[in-house]
Amino acid sequence: MSREKILHRLRQNSPLPVPPPGQFQENIVLAKEKLVEIFSRSLKQAGGECIELSNADDIYGWLQTHYPGAVDFTRGDAGKTYSAGCAKEKLERLETVVLEGRFGVAENGAVWIDDSCFPHRLIPFIAQRLIIILHKNQLVSDMHEAYNRLDLTGTGFGLFICGPSKTADIEQSLVYGAHGAMEMGVVLVD
Amino acid sequence: MHSLKIGLFIPCYIDQFYPGVGIATLELLQKLKLNVSYPLKQTCCGQPLANTGAEKEAIPVYRNFIRNFSRFDYVVSPSGSCVYHVREHYDILEQTDEVKKVRKNTFELCEFITDILKIDDLKIHYPHKVGVHQSCHGLRGLKLGKSSEIIAERYSKVHKLLEKAGGIELIKLHREDECCGFGGTFSVFEPDVSVRMGLARVEDHQLNGAEIITATDMSCLMHMEGIIRRQKKNIKVVHIAEILNSNSL
Amino acid sequence: MNAHAQMAANFLANRERSDWHDQTLWMVRQKRDRVALSVPEWEQLREQASKIKDNVLSNLENYLLQFEQHALANGVKVHWAVDADELNRIVLKIINDSKAVRVVKSKSMLTEECGLNPFLEKLGIEVVDTDLGERIIQFRNEPPSHIVLPAIHLKKEEIGELFHEKLNTEKGASDPHYLTAAARAHLREKFLSADLAITGVNFAVAETGAVVVCTNEGNADMGVHAAPVQVHCMGIEKIIPSTADLGVFTRLLARNATGQHITTYTSHYLKPKEGGEMHVVITDNGRSERLGNVKYRDSLKCIRCGACMNTCPVYRRSGGYSYRYVIPGPIGSILAPYADIKKYKDLPFASSLCGSCTDVCPVKIDIHQQIYYLRQEITGRSKFPGFKKISLKLAAKIFAAGRWYDLSGKTARWAMKHLSRKIIYHPLNAWGRGRELPEVPERSFKEWYKKNIKS
Repeated sequence: MSREKILHRLRQNSPLPVPPPGQFQENIVLAKEKLVEIFSRSLKQAGGECIELSNADDIYGWLQTHYPGAVDFTRGDAGKTYSAGCAKEKLERLETVVLEGRFGVAENGAVWIDDSCFPHRLIPFIAQRLIIILHKNQLVSDMHEAYNRLDLTGTGFGLFICGPSKTADIEQSLVYGAHGAMEMGVVLVD
Repeated sequence: MHSLKIGLFIPCYIDQFYPGVGIATLELLQKLKLNVSYPLKQTCCGQPLANTGAEKEAIPVYRNFIRNFSRFDYVVSPSGSCVYHVREHYDILEQTDEVKKVRKNTFELCEFITDILKIDDLKIHYPHKVGVHQSCHGLRGLKLGKSSEIIAERYSKVHKLLEKAGGIELIKLHREDECCGFGGTFSVFEPDVSVRMGLARVEDHQLNGAEIITATDMSCLMHMEGIIRRQKKNIKVVHIAEILNSNSL
Repeated sequence: MNAHAQMAANFLANRERSDWHDQTLWMVRQKRDRVALSVPEWEQLREQASKIKDNVLSNLENYLLQFEQHALANGVKVHWAVDADELNRIVLKIINDSKAVRVVKSKSMLTEECGLNPFLEKLGIEVVDTDLGERIIQFRNEPPSHIVLPAIHLKKEEIGELFHEKLNTEKGASDPHYLTAAARAHLREKFLSADLAITGVNFAVAETGAVVVCTNEGNADMGVHAAPVQVHCMGIEKIIPSTADLGVFTRLLARNATGQHITTYTSHYLKPKEGGEMHVVITDNGRSERLGNVKYRDSLKCIRCGACMNTCPVYRRSGGYSYRYVIPGPIGSILAPYADIKKYKDLPFASSLCGSCTDVCPVKIDIHQQIYYLRQEITGRSKFPGFKKISLKLAAKIFAAGRWYDLSGKTARWAMKHLSRKIIYHPLNAWGRGRELPEVPERSFKEWYKKNIKS
């Protein structure tokens, strides 16, 4: 059997054991006060927008004003309307969707979302515009902290998402909206 | 200093085509009050053969090098790539005490001056616009300077020796350490890429105002000079030994 | 001239195009430098990544078994492929078993290496490559010329013409935004109608059985979540021990590949979707053999970032096609000869051994040193035409003995000084293609020394 063949070859050809290195010690851990500033800058560099709102209650007012047609998965019945068994054509018609982010990473502007944030896995990709709501105290400094914090028990699918979909495959010209969202923004709330 | 015995190694192409570089190196070391000898039976470090893939055939050449230089405290050479070859690739020889000693104590000229003699001011007056070509084997192999790929504090032993020269202007390049394309036999196996790379280096120096291109390796300079002369460009090459030797010591 | 040199010469003949290629890839190298500078512990990160991979390579069996165990527990089907042919057959079986007709694929250098597309296409199965760059070269029936930027050799006008033909875009239109929008619409239709999606694997995590795929476009996710069946193809060396290790690699990959801090999407696939299937095909195809060779085993640490290509002055000026292998550039010059030493024996000589690749490699593969070792192997075992081997031996004898060396040097100098220009610069003189030979001095250094110093 191929599996046995491969494992046998690996056993035969394996170099002498080399221990794993210790945990990585980064030199600089960003100060808490700076996390919002750096996260915002990193996200903008990646083509995303970063909006700060002070009061969590303001979110819904803000959404109503700027994106009245948005499908909000952070509350209400949207999860039932666009369930896991939902037809793809229906999902394709999604214009703006709102998701809740679990935590954000300042060094690169990425946000972790997973299948506890959306009922159908296509949602973060198929919508034309993606808005993620994130609490300011859910920001970490870098990917080491991020992965330390991540608990994948029970998760079937999750991702770090940073900015809108993009490509530079045509003569290195940057274009947003290759296959995923054309626009992406994070609303940071207290 | 007087008691140290220095063996001078002159690379084959400097011996044959650029004896002035050898003479400058010898004169400079003598000005620094060193006891320098030039073993007459020396030939080559063996790199041309090894880079073609014939390192086994090169072993007698390696042994001739060791034989000629084992009696010295230090071996000094105006060539980063030859020194790199001895320090790195003579590992295929049986590592006798003699071999280990020679490998450990073979130095390129600039690093010998800064690291062993601990001198960084040779009292040079050199009122020219000079571009430093950071030859690859010296830069990345011997760590004569920090290569642009590495994220660390900048340093350059060659620049250090030139900085204090009176009247000198060290020009800044667009690509500070891109390879010139000589690469030994690469220059004849891949002539078009080699020439294109060399031309790009020369143009970088010219665009940034250099009158003179200098380097630790005459091989790089020979290649760039060949292009300069073919294209009748108005820029010169001068080996670092000749600049450093134009001092008032 | 050897194959690489000839193709490089052809590439360079178009001066404007080859200059553009060089300048564009240099800019990608500069982007990498800029983001690397923003990470003060950059060199320690490289060292950590290198050490993690060293540990992985000495423990591959255990980590793969651990991965399999967790993946199986998550409802993932795990397959093992000994070689390219088996990978292709396994994927075919999954396609047939699930009665899939339309297949989409996101970037996978492994499937390129194994020739999956031509294999499936011969059997009448349409495979649509969904990375924009990959789709472009698929339309043109060309291989990729760079592993991250596969269409880097093309200008937007050429892509415009191609899309006019294939996607009905306006004739003469070449605006990248317009063309990308057309590709978006075209590929969306493919995603939504696909029965099966294939992806590569950037990292497979032993600790959790997770498959991690990094993209900027989101095409891996569009394919995987829209189609009922998802298949992830991985080389055995893509395994990493733990989730914590992902912290190191996700900080290095995009910064090295494109100069971004992170790709838009870093997706972690653990379990199949409800009612769906998830497969992982663990593939050897010569890797376990390379593991046993101490000189070249470090090439297995490669995370396929492409930084070595961007920094290589030879690659920039000869173009990816001159390497004629799925993975070009410095790392390709090690991988290709390993796959077929006869066909690719020229590649280790297509290098000036400058060492820039080794200095950028995020996992610290000593690329230029392995290229040097490969040269010894190729020259050593090659069936050289008799005279070349003899001339090497002769050269060695000359360089080893003072008298012969001095004499041959003197002869060469005499010849250079006295033979006519026409004879010296004849077409066979490779040095003379673009350069003058050095001027001949009156005497060698040794002759000067003997006369002036030695008493």
